[in-house]
Amino acid sequence: MTKYAEDFTAQEMIVVAGSRTLVDNKVVFAGTGLPMVAITLAQLTHSPGIIPVFEAGAVGPSLSRGLPLSVGDSRTTFRANYLLGLNSAFELTQRGFADIGFIGGAEIDPYGNLNSTMMGEFPENYQKPKVRLPGSGGASDMACSCEQTIIIMVHEPRRFNKKLNYITSPGYLDGTPNARWRAGLAGQGPYRVITTKAVLGFDDETKRMKLIATLPGETVKSVQDATGFELIIPSDVYEFEPPTVEEIRLIREAIDPKGYFVRKKIKE
Amino acid sequence: MYWTGLSPDEARQFLANKDKSKRDKRMGLKEAVQKYVKDGDNIGIGGFVNARQPVATVFEIARQGRKDLTLSFQSAGLAIEYLAGAMALDDSKNNIKRLELAYWAHEAFGISPLFRYLTENNKVELEDWSNYNMSARFKAGSMGLPFIPCRSPLGSDMLKTNRAKIIDCPFTERPIMLLPASHPDIALIHVQEADIYGNCRIQGPLYTCPEISMASAHTIVTCDRLIEHDDMTRYPNRISIPFFSVDAVIEVPFGSYPGNCNGIHYFDEKHIPEFRTACEKFRKGDPVALQKYYDDYVFGVENFAQFIDKIPFEQLQYVQKIEPSTTLEAAFKVLE
Repeated sequence: MTKYAEDFTAQEMIVVAGSRTLVDNKVVFAGTGLPMVAITLAQLTHSPGIIPVFEAGAVGPSLSRGLPLSVGDSRTTFRANYLLGLNSAFELTQRGFADIGFIGGAEIDPYGNLNSTMMGEFPENYQKPKVRLPGSGGASDMACSCEQTIIIMVHEPRRFNKKLNYITSPGYLDGTPNARWRAGLAGQGPYRVITTKAVLGFDDETKRMKLIATLPGETVKSVQDATGFELIIPSDVYEFEPPTVEEIRLIREAIDPKGYFVRKKIKE
Repeated sequence: MYWTGLSPDEARQFLANKDKSKRDKRMGLKEAVQKYVKDGDNIGIGGFVNARQPVATVFEIARQGRKDLTLSFQSAGLAIEYLAGAMALDDSKNNIKRLELAYWAHEAFGISPLFRYLTENNKVELEDWSNYNMSARFKAGSMGLPFIPCRSPLGSDMLKTNRAKIIDCPFTERPIMLLPASHPDIALIHVQEADIYGNCRIQGPLYTCPEISMASAHTIVTCDRLIEHDDMTRYPNRISIPFFSVDAVIEVPFGSYPGNCNGIHYFDEKHIPEFRTACEKFRKGDPVALQKYYDDYVFGVENFAQFIDKIPFEQLQYVQKIEPSTTLEAAFKVLE
């Protein structure tokens, strides 16, 4: 019988949910932070055949040399199967070699568009934002050109907004039929949003965000209350299986023992 | 259309008139910066976030002082944070006028305090792009093309403020982005190994270093070690930047410290937070720690070796010891 962990943090739960969303033998283009932890956990539990790709150039490395602190650091390159640079990595996504783009986000809207650029009025205050965020990095390229994207983020009302300050990484844009195709995009768009409270997806017709599962300790109401727009709540929403003792042990002892990305509070 | 740095035609003309001879390009870093980095330049920054960034060259620029700079890069951290710190302390000596960028932060080490300081106080002009955009812009420059098509990030707000254009592809008739080439005046590149002529052998990810160098009018290369030309040309496929793209070669051990340099040393997880914390205090209104940092490590020393001298030997040994990649020598033994 599976033994479930009794003591775990929201950060650990999100990593477990992210890991379980991944499927074996897929090429996963990894953003920095929690996606890297979740990929490693998936490799160590159910999906040893996941092929990680890092935007700085490494394709299919072994992550056995320790958790990378950057998607361009040495630990992303150990026993890589191919290693050039940023152009080659992003060319792979345009060509269709990347099944999943796995990215973090600061602010999201009902159609899965993401903001990681700025807070404040756009374009009026672009040159003098209220709060300046780091910028796109490779996230917008991944959101556009990987076949699907999985987004991982903290679930707070101010991060889930009807309208974004700035669209950095396109999701389903305005949600109209074929909006991505008409914009010229190649990938299909967001597949899942994994948060500290829920696993979410998108309605096939309207492309609006829908609840799929509540994480342990959460309810449909608590998830909706923490979301700044109305979620679609299908009748088959279920409770997500809690983390196992083994998953939590792997995160704490093997993958991120120093707590670089897990347990550390995500930037507020 | 306006160009920052050189226009494609200017860049072509510049190279047509350039001395491409295979000559000894060793010189001091001070001399190289005096000769090749001018006020008003567009500077292409090599490396990626905090890995293989041209930290030593930026320290030298900060000591000499340069104004009205445009910085072009995909993702950067330490090198530009150091330049921004010098500007924050005295913007009559060093200042950044414009940024063409995709990302400025430090990943696991946190966001960039001075990027927030500069932007939220409207002290720099911004042009946001994606990582692929900036990389492809350098690539277009290195290919001698005025633009390059790209599929991302179509639909993003970035296109409302940058110089990208959307056209209907003449062949598929679907929308596609066109990115203008980037031709910086000067590329700053740090590599593991170079020879005296400027040939560079990069270990690990190339990032966008070859493209940035070949797109730029000039390139300053710092290397952890100079190697024999015969060693270099034994593996021509492994030369990432050819000699005629390089103007100055300087051997600077630990030249990208406290960042990561593949095969040489990992991040210094003590020193990066020390610097970043001083930057964060500055952003919150207290300049004392940042001034002290620069007095100790940048302005108070003559060269980069004197900065490295101030780092405890055990700390330097440690960042070498935890660097997990195989070394260059080991890799090449396998080949032979």
